[in-house]
Amino acid sequence: MTPRRHRIEAREAIWRGHFRADRITLRHETFAGHESAPLVLEVFDLGEAACVLPWDPASDRVLLIEQFRGAVAGITETPWLLETIAGDLGPGETPEGVARREAVEEAGLTIDRMIPAGAILPCPGAVATRVHAFIAPCDLSGAAGIHGLTEEGEDILVHVLSLEEALTMVDDGRIQASHATIPLLWLARHRERLLREAGGVAI
Amino acid sequence: MNEKKYEIVAREPLYEGYFRADRWQVRHTTFRGGWSDVHGLEIFDRGHAACVLPWDPVSDEVVLVEQFRAAAIPTAKSPWLLEAIAGAMKPGEKPEEVARREAMEEAGLALNELRHVTSFLPSCGAVTEELHVFVAPVDAASAGGVHGLQDEHEDMKVHVLPFTEVLAMTEDGRIVAGNTIVAVYWLALHREEVREAWSRGR
Repeated sequence: MTPRRHRIEAREAIWRGHFRADRITLRHETFAGHESAPLVLEVFDLGEAACVLPWDPASDRVLLIEQFRGAVAGITETPWLLETIAGDLGPGETPEGVARREAVEEAGLTIDRMIPAGAILPCPGAVATRVHAFIAPCDLSGAAGIHGLTEEGEDILVHVLSLEEALTMVDDGRIQASHATIPLLWLARHRERLLREAGGVAI
Repeated sequence: MNEKKYEIVAREPLYEGYFRADRWQVRHTTFRGGWSDVHGLEIFDRGHAACVLPWDPVSDEVVLVEQFRAAAIPTAKSPWLLEAIAGAMKPGEKPEEVARREAMEEAGLALNELRHVTSFLPSCGAVTEELHVFVAPVDAASAGGVHGLQDEHEDMKVHVLPFTEVLAMTEDGRIVAGNTIVAVYWLALHREEVREAWSRGR
């Protein structure tokens, strides 16, 4: 039987900036049916985000963006990562709305239909964030170039590559961002079904 | 393309506790040419981690652990999440060692072979963490019970579930942890290949 109850006894702000960090003291019901000792946990809150993987069913190619990510400088081979289009949810924004806006800003792409590919908690041990993932079937024949809002310091290069190549890059470590890895694996699983539903587009 | 370069101009601690956060001032070369302005990034450092999805290729069952996750309170239906076995890497530790240790601590499982799936970045916009994902062949009948280290306040319940059910739970949103989603989708794509490789290895 899954425990159901938890009780937050104290919440102390340890950082307030673009993101926020809290030290939380809580107790929860245990699997043995008792109440746990008080736990003191640090939680980093990034808010929620949405990401979208544009996929061209006619060519079986996907669009990924490349950008500099300082957080992983010195950890990965390069801090220029291949990712899906993504953005943070502002107050009152929907995941779909953010995905559409970011597709225009980060790739110059107008998205029509979007297929939900799950909501991900990338780091539930310490980071309070949820990423809503979508696949957007669309025509990628004209997609290319450098995008991003310069006033937000964005510097983004669009890549269009075959789904097969992208999956190879997940396997060999050239694609590492969770919001790219997970939608690509999702699409690999559902590609055949989506093609059938689209009426047998030739590949 | 020109060579890409970046520079961390300054690092200022925001807080240091069990984890830490820093503000970095960085600049980098741009795709249009030249250097970007210096901009500030808030960066959260909780170290690196490894996880393993134990899979029984004979019964086609996987072993997951259920535990309370405070960081899931704001977003998940319930903060008790079903996840792959996972743990933080201590300095000098190899990901494989962490996977083996945690399998023993969290599920009482002694792992033999480990297959590396991928190493991913859970939240690359703000978190330094790299997470190494493995799958491992097990006899699922040897897993079960309530585990976890009392001194680390771990309270975990081991679940042995058919892989098809776990895949359905991942696709309908009952499983939400990124490390688990990556391992489950990867296994869904590579199950036959892995089963064959392991049966040859016996």
